[in-house]
Amino acid sequence: MMYEYGSIVTRQRKWMLYLLAILVLGTAFTPYSRIFQGLLLGSIVSFYNLWLLQHKTKALGEAVAENRSVRGGLGTFSRLAAVALTVLIALQFEEHFHFIAVVIGIVSSYIILGLDILQRMIAGRNHPSDN
Amino acid sequence: MGALAAAIAIGLAALGAGLGNGMIVSKTVEGIARQPELKGSLQTTMFIGVALVEAIPIIAAVIAFMVVFQ
Repeated sequence: MMYEYGSIVTRQRKWMLYLLAILVLGTAFTPYSRIFQGLLLGSIVSFYNLWLLQHKTKALGEAVAENRSVRGGLGTFSRLAAVALTVLIALQFEEHFHFIAVVIGIVSSYIILGLDILQRMIAGRNHPSDN
Repeated sequence: MGALAAAIAIGLAALGAGLGNGMIVSKTVEGIARQPELKGSLQTTMFIGVALVEAIPIIAAVIAFMVVFQ
């Protein structure tokens, strides 16, 4: 099948975990700890948002396929609340978290999503039979 | 005026995202109900669509909080 949901989810989580590992190393071993802490905070929330969306999408698809009633939505409000909380934390503790870095961290999952789609498109063009 | 700007920003972004998400989810549910064997492919399309649609209200929430609290 061209788009296998499970493999996409696993790959995106893998990339997010790589990013978080790099940010932890940057926080620990570079002098720019305030920027890296901001990126780390934003990326953790971004990873939570990505996980929640993947989980809710899977649950919705399974419920519809098995003809069960769908409970709850897609978690949009939870994701917005998580981002709002992160921004408040970043504004409250500005001496620890660089604000722009936090915002870049929050959108990191979207960057990874875009790069993942791009990589799949390029791989699909080079090896059409693999996908 | 800052609070009003924040309210308009987050309100319009949420309105757009709500409409967009509603369309995406309704079409996906319709598709899965018709052809359950295409669940994986439809789920992937829905996931990417919802994620891209939700990026805008998330940025709007960040901007609204910046306007109100900075």
